Amino acid sequence: MKVLLKKYRIFTFIFALTFLALMYVNQQVLIYQMGLKVKENYSIYSKLVDQNRISVYNILDLKSPVSLEKKLLAKKIELDIPCKWQVVKLEKSPERFAHNEIARKGLFANLFSLGREAEASPNVNTFVSKK
Amino acid sequence: MHKLIVPRIRGILYCLLVLFVLLAVRLLVVQLGAAKPLSKLASDQYKSFIPLLPRRGVIYDRNLNELAVSINLNSVYADPTRIKDKDSTAKRLSGVLKIDEAGIVRKLNKNKHFVWLARKIQPNMERALRRLSIKGVGFIKEPQRVYPDKTLASHVLGFVGLDNVGLEGIELEFEEFLKGAMGWRYTIRDAKKRDVPGYEYKEIPPADGDDVVLTIDEVVQAIAEKELDKAFKKYNAKGADIIVMDPWKGDILALANRPTYDPNDIKEYPMEARRNRVICDFFAPGSSFKIVTASAVLQEEVAKPDDEFFCENGKFRWYNHVYHDHKDYGWLKFRDVIKYSSNIGTMKSAIRLGKGRLYRYIKRFGFGKKTGIDLPGEVKGIVRPPSRWSRLGVCSISMGQGVTATALQLACAISSLANGGYYVRPRNVDRIQDKDGNIIKRFEPKKMQRVVSEDTARELRQILRGVVEGGTGKRAEIKGYYPAGKTGTAQKIEADGRYSHRKFTASFIGFVPFDKPRFVVVVVMDEPSPSHFGGTVCAPVFKKVAEELMHYYKIEPRDET
Repeated sequence: MKVLLKKYRIFTFIFALTFLALMYVNQQVLIYQMGLKVKENYSIYSKLVDQNRISVYNILDLKSPVSLEKKLLAKKIELDIPCKWQVVKLEKSPERFAHNEIARKGLFANLFSLGREAEASPNVNTFVSKK
Repeated sequence: MHKLIVPRIRGILYCLLVLFVLLAVRLLVVQLGAAKPLSKLASDQYKSFIPLLPRRGVIYDRNLNELAVSINLNSVYADPTRIKDKDSTAKRLSGVLKIDEAGIVRKLNKNKHFVWLARKIQPNMERALRRLSIKGVGFIKEPQRVYPDKTLASHVLGFVGLDNVGLEGIELEFEEFLKGAMGWRYTIRDAKKRDVPGYEYKEIPPADGDDVVLTIDEVVQAIAEKELDKAFKKYNAKGADIIVMDPWKGDILALANRPTYDPNDIKEYPMEARRNRVICDFFAPGSSFKIVTASAVLQEEVAKPDDEFFCENGKFRWYNHVYHDHKDYGWLKFRDVIKYSSNIGTMKSAIRLGKGRLYRYIKRFGFGKKTGIDLPGEVKGIVRPPSRWSRLGVCSISMGQGVTATALQLACAISSLANGGYYVRPRNVDRIQDKDGNIIKRFEPKKMQRVVSEDTARELRQILRGVVEGGTGKRAEIKGYYPAGKTGTAQKIEADGRYSHRKFTASFIGFVPFDKPRFVVVVVMDEPSPSHFGGTVCAPVFKKVAEELMHYYKIEPRDET
């Protein structure tokens, strides 16, 4: 075998060189393909960003006071900020109102509940146990 | 046979050797002689320099509502050398782009590789054009400045040109911050001039422009413009201005002009509509200017509010000139001189004061010099020094003729009384911030000189309350909010230099509430008709705007006591 390798050393060298060259070419092709993919994705991304900006602009346009007023005027509606006598203030807060509702359901409803109904509360201290 | 082959091979080898020598010589010539131009030519062919455009900064109102934003739109170009049937291509393009077919044909017949067909087209047009997939027609992205509120605050925002450079308003004044810095990329391109990915030599990304946060409130601006527009149309005025200002900080909450324009489409509007009259136009302020005379008279203790002046029953001769009042008043207290806007009473108090002291107060109130607002194109107005006043000067200037001022100068003057006597520099911009909200520059409110004492300012506020309660500004009254102000009706000067009897400038300057002022509102109408009085034309606009401001800021009305 050694003799054979020695005899065909030049062929081995050429084979190894060709293999390395092919590997290099393959690597370059892969880099190019990946670059293309990145470019393609980036163009999709920038297109979406542009579309998003246009959508945001359209929303701003729709909610702008000038556009809203134009639409209202077209329907012959003129809005004014309500005067004091037109505003009704609710004394009870919605939270308290909900408690009263449960209480109003009476004894029958309470029979089927284990206790106070679960409620989300912004106050962290509510969940701290009292020792 | 062998004898014949060897010399032939040798001959071929010699020939090849000669060829190689020639090639080597040529190589040397190329390398030593023409290396630079040839390598440049090659590099131009395969390298490309791509400029990367930054995004222009956003302009926000004080509550961070976007007033000016940038979007990317596609522009359409053509390579005429690649288009074979030019007539039919032009017909198809014209159908989508809605532009003249003959114009497109003219462009396509040019012997060029690049012609613009349409700049910054709408996305629906772009989609339709892409569907046609015409060979030789391409797209290039370009940034477009857009203003979602259309005409709202257009004179404050200004506009940009086709190249995205600010040409007016905030866009011009803050161009350095808004524009950002351009980036670039060096890359390799293939035979079809496409970028070869993965071979980017160098890239400097663009730096986006900074955002500008204004003191303007979008809602207050909309309220002010709505009411101004109604009055502008109702009185067929030539022009109209309104300013809503915070007298304590100098913040401009709203600033509007009529006629106006849409910065999205500036070509459709005349130059006249683009002028920011609030700072660029000056006019004789008329009776609104009496606040200056009254302040000087009270501050210098020339008269007290309850001192009486004889108003000559409506006719007063001074150096062969006869002055008139709009009503024949007899004896009036000084506070009533202002309340009923008596010219004669004001003149008499000014004569007592003297022109030197009057001039000093005119300057202290900021007339005759720029306010220093952060908008381009501001004018100073005209205030001559007393040495150049005529014998009648002190009389006419005391009632607002013979001097000129801008609407903004009037707003600053009345603010000085509303805030207790300080001149506050008006400001339109609160801060400049980057994309992440980090503040780059803040424009703090700036108190300048003291104009009058706190007591004088309080006294003047009481007197101006009287103007609205029962004087010339009754139409500005709002139940429960106690506004105060001063009306003004000034004759305009005709081309021959005489005061006109047909053309007037009407104004109303005021604040609300009178004891703890929150807002200053100034309304000016140029040549209103049929009515031309400040109390009739401008005071109702003040009332409507101030009323809505009170509701918007949830300020409760007080009971009448």
